[in-house]
Amino acid sequence: MSIMEYNGGSVVAMVGKDCVAIASDLRLGNQALGISSNFQKIFPVTDRIYLGLPGLATDVTTLRERFRFRVNMYTIKEEREIEPETFAHLVSSTLYEHRFGPYFIEPVIAGISKTPSGGVKPFIAATDLIGCLNFAKDFVVAGTASSKLFGVAEGLWEPDLEPEDLFETISQTLLNAVDRDAYSGWGGIVHVITKDKVVTRTLKGRMD
Amino acid sequence: MASSIHSGPGFDFSNEIRNNFMAEKGLPLPKATSTGTTIVGCLFKDGIVLGADTRATEGPIVADKNCEKIHYITESIRCCGAGTAADTEFTTALISSNMELHALSTGRKPRVVTAMTMLKQMLFRYQGHIGAALVLGGVDATGPHLFTIHPHGSTDKLPYVTMGSGSLAAMAVFESAWRPDMDRESALTLVKSAISAGIFNDLGSGSNVDACIITASSTEMLRNVEMPNERVQKERDYKFRRGTTAWAKESVRDLVVSETVQWVGGEAMDTT
Amino acid sequence: MNSFAERFSTTTAASHMRNAQKLAEEDDEFDGTMWGSSAGFGSIAKGVPSFTVPAVADPTAFLRLHTDDHADPSCRIKIQHGTTTLAFRFQGGVIVAVDSRATAGSYIASGTVKKVIEINPYLLGTMAGGAADCQYWETYLGMHCRLHELRNRERISVSAASKYLSNLVYSYKGMGLSMGTMICGWDKTGPAVFYVDSDGTRLKGDLFSVGSGSTFAYGVLDQGYRWDLTDEEAQELGRRSIYAAGHRDAFSGNSCNLYHVKEDGWKFIGNYDISKLHYDGPGNVPGSDGRPYGYDIRVEGLSSTNAPEVAAAA
Repeated sequence: MSIMEYNGGSVVAMVGKDCVAIASDLRLGNQALGISSNFQKIFPVTDRIYLGLPGLATDVTTLRERFRFRVNMYTIKEEREIEPETFAHLVSSTLYEHRFGPYFIEPVIAGISKTPSGGVKPFIAATDLIGCLNFAKDFVVAGTASSKLFGVAEGLWEPDLEPEDLFETISQTLLNAVDRDAYSGWGGIVHVITKDKVVTRTLKGRMD
Repeated sequence: MASSIHSGPGFDFSNEIRNNFMAEKGLPLPKATSTGTTIVGCLFKDGIVLGADTRATEGPIVADKNCEKIHYITESIRCCGAGTAADTEFTTALISSNMELHALSTGRKPRVVTAMTMLKQMLFRYQGHIGAALVLGGVDATGPHLFTIHPHGSTDKLPYVTMGSGSLAAMAVFESAWRPDMDRESALTLVKSAISAGIFNDLGSGSNVDACIITASSTEMLRNVEMPNERVQKERDYKFRRGTTAWAKESVRDLVVSETVQWVGGEAMDTT
Repeated sequence: MNSFAERFSTTTAASHMRNAQKLAEEDDEFDGTMWGSSAGFGSIAKGVPSFTVPAVADPTAFLRLHTDDHADPSCRIKIQHGTTTLAFRFQGGVIVAVDSRATAGSYIASGTVKKVIEINPYLLGTMAGGAADCQYWETYLGMHCRLHELRNRERISVSAASKYLSNLVYSYKGMGLSMGTMICGWDKTGPAVFYVDSDGTRLKGDLFSVGSGSTFAYGVLDQGYRWDLTDEEAQELGRRSIYAAGHRDAFSGNSCNLYHVKEDGWKFIGNYDISKLHYDGPGNVPGSDGRPYGYDIRVEGLSSTNAPEVAAAA
């Protein structure tokens, strides 16, 4: 039993055509005992950046507040919204500061950045618990069901999915992966981020 | 939160007590991403060629299929990293930053030995707890130099070097085919086959070949010079019909703030 | 379950094996030819099967080394741990209900495991702990129950059958067997439930639940249990108890298998998907009001956190 399995939970993010999606389960457990089926692990950072924090629940809360603080300080000092790439590095260095006494969280970042020409570029990234960044072009996974998510996502993901199709792909990936993991599940939530709106849907997942 | 406003430089050990407590209770620490890695470097007639594979692993899982392991130190000094991925990333970034400052304060182009000394002194100070195994190469005023730096801070200066889990496979190639004063093309070919030996024969290494050629006049970063493991195009797809997934609740956050333009004044501006 | 093994690790497996063999020889008044084939049950010529043990100094320690996933999570042989099983006796017979999940570490290896072992038309055994141990020894018990019938011209009592099993596992005590089972049936005395585990414990009782989800099942079971339950009420109680465990316990779930033992033998009542029970209820089955079991769905519009829609709009 590792510390990551103490509370359970998983997050996945995927890139689509001019959109990104990030999804998580809703379980909070105390080892085998399910405590809550409404525990949020994904938080909005700005309008177009969402952050998933699977891992030890106490650190989910701590880091959420820490990032909120650091993003607010950034916004005040720079007088502009933080870009997803910048935020990913902020996450990375915050975690690496705690290299020898880490937070037990494997963050997943999903967002849309603006290009100088006025277009949009989807962005996803994930880090390990000490902040090693992984910029992927397709999908990133984290949490207790990560090995299962890797397998399903590798099979289901394809490039240039429209927002509605990306929703189906990420939802099916999440749902089917967590059904094979004892520590994840109890419902799910999906955010699909596009240029001008964020659609959030609560999934009907298995409740056992 | 006061501590995070006035946080000093260096590592934060505030979670130590809690984490040690959990470790005592028998909860093992989760694995950090590591680069199982094959990294190499070799000397040739005009300079240095560095090479690396692009696989990052978390235990038995391939975490990143195409990561970058050749890190920027200065324009004519680069560093390949193996070991704990976060450590190689942040150590090289820190030394790169210090090298830039050093160059600015001395007004000279920085030397490879300077970077090597900074790295070894830092790694020695941390007694191997920073798990970075590095291959450092570059060209400066004193000519081309190639070093290996081990996590505990020891260094070697050699004409051809390999590191990481695939180092044995890569060294076998170098030992049999490296010659003094090779030309650029044959040195690059040699590095490519050394990395390929790691990719195919070592399970911790894989995917593509990255290379970097450094000479006195130029530095050429060759990202994915060889891609021997590209996935074939899927014949069919698994696209789901819209409406497949049952959902209970939906909320839409509109990011477009509605805008109305109100003309003030009677006439539009004359723009003729 | 590994504590069983630990307690007896000082004695060697070889001496246990000798004891088992001796025990077998004592009540042996028949030989292998009496029932023809030994049909995959090892060497049962002496009544008790004997197993080949690894050729090492301490086979018990050797086995533990490879099966103890508490000490070493990467051990080779994972024994199934999580389960919820229950059985209770009431006026109308015995209800046996189990979940169907098998896990290896955090991985859900299967969601369609049969955890009720049909020993014969009048006897059921449940499965918790080592799946192979339960399957093998309860099937083996079935053979001996049949032999009892042939020898004595009458069916074996539940009490005798469970005692046979308990004596058998006791002879292997400390060697790594892992099972927690309920032997349920109907005999001359009426409905009967016996709890037998690999420690050698054997208990007679009205109501048992075994496994990681047993506490959750007991919660519902105790609250709803009465001797004079009707058949329908009893079946609903069994179903509802397994649902509760499947919902809360990470290592139980997927589906519920329900059996009812009456005077004329056991009957399979049905297989119910735990998630379906949560969202839609068991459907049109006797004893159920057809309402969903899930808390959120049951209290829809009745609690402050999900107030009725009309109230929310106002």
